[in-house]
Amino acid sequence: MRAVERGLTNCPVCHTIVKVPLEDSDTAAYCPRCDSEVHIRKPDSIQKTWAFLLASIVFYIPANVLPMMHVLTFAGTESDTIMSGVLYFIDTGAYLIAFVIFTASIFVPILKILILIYLLISVQKRSCLHRQRRKKLYVLTEIIGRWSMVDVYVVGTMIALVHFGGLTEITPGMGANFFLLVVIMTMLSAMSFDPKLIWDNSKECNARQ
Amino acid sequence: MRVHYHICHECDELSKISTPNKPGRYKCPNCGAKLYTYKPGMVEKLYAYNLAALFLFVIANYFPFLSFHVAGNSSHANFETSIVYLYQDGEWMMATAILLTTILVPLIRILLYCILFGSLYYGYLPRYATQMLKMLEKLLPWGMLDVLFLGVLVSIVKLVKMGTIIPGTSLWAFMLMVLVMAASQSIFDPHQVWERIGDRKRLQRERGQL
Repeated sequence: MRAVERGLTNCPVCHTIVKVPLEDSDTAAYCPRCDSEVHIRKPDSIQKTWAFLLASIVFYIPANVLPMMHVLTFAGTESDTIMSGVLYFIDTGAYLIAFVIFTASIFVPILKILILIYLLISVQKRSCLHRQRRKKLYVLTEIIGRWSMVDVYVVGTMIALVHFGGLTEITPGMGANFFLLVVIMTMLSAMSFDPKLIWDNSKECNARQ
Repeated sequence: MRVHYHICHECDELSKISTPNKPGRYKCPNCGAKLYTYKPGMVEKLYAYNLAALFLFVIANYFPFLSFHVAGNSSHANFETSIVYLYQDGEWMMATAILLTTILVPLIRILLYCILFGSLYYGYLPRYATQMLKMLEKLLPWGMLDVLFLGVLVSIVKLVKMGTIIPGTSLWAFMLMVLVMAASQSIFDPHQVWERIGDRKRLQRERGQL
């Protein structure tokens, strides 16, 4: 039995059962236990998820093209993008670090963006396929999202440590800012998505089988 | 023992749980998502872990974090040095993001845990428990000390070929803090606390206080 068929849902904050008016999904009910606003589904979930997702795709391009940081030495300035950093580690034989950076900064953001696109399109097409697997993908995007921040912290730590007056210094590049925005936008996008939408056509799907 | 109904937050399945207070882990029968866990001893452990985390937080922010020596030059970094330099470079966005995710949000979370579970430990449900739990849940994804830990490790490996890196007291405290907070996060389940808040509210309603 799905809760929506009985006009029930759970409070997004305290998970208690709340009765919501089904005929008008815009009006909110209030949780009797914690007084939060409760909707049968997250309001405008698909639109919000798309909006944050598109923003993150737009920011993803400068994040990869522009330098993450500049290394200033007396010999000149050297700029590092995400990819050049990974290549540097492969060249020097630090494969583990290259793998960590590649996974966190290139693979995970792309994976998240692709998963969210797939989830959104399949929900909008009211697909019945792989619902169990799609739910797992959603949980995965929620878990891995934060780990992309690692590159921002690497830049931060490098700036703090390599700071020798006028001799050698590391300054952040514009790419780092855009990368930060990519991480924040994909996190907000995943938060706006309502996984219950995946299961909302259960009746049709069961009838079709 | 009351029969308890639970709606899965992932798939909206309404399930009946006949033994809600038996210790264990409750899963959604439809999609397998974790509904809640009930483990005795959560309050005591959370209070202990977060008191420890609070001390470690103070140590991590007070003592030197890392020093870096190259060819006679040396630079010393504290926990918040990167934020200061970023701010000086005019990178206010990164500075703010790092300040929030590695200092303010973790600190607020540790304090909230300490107040909430400290009070529960002494048998008293705080007046603003609802607001505290709401805030804890909102802040959860934005505290990124564990990610920072990975970032620091990567930077150390990056720099270790260029010079000598000397870890400070703060680094050890920070590593312990990450462990302690991960442990506390793995046992945190607000379900029991919400039940108590619900009971209190029901009582207040019966007395006509609401």
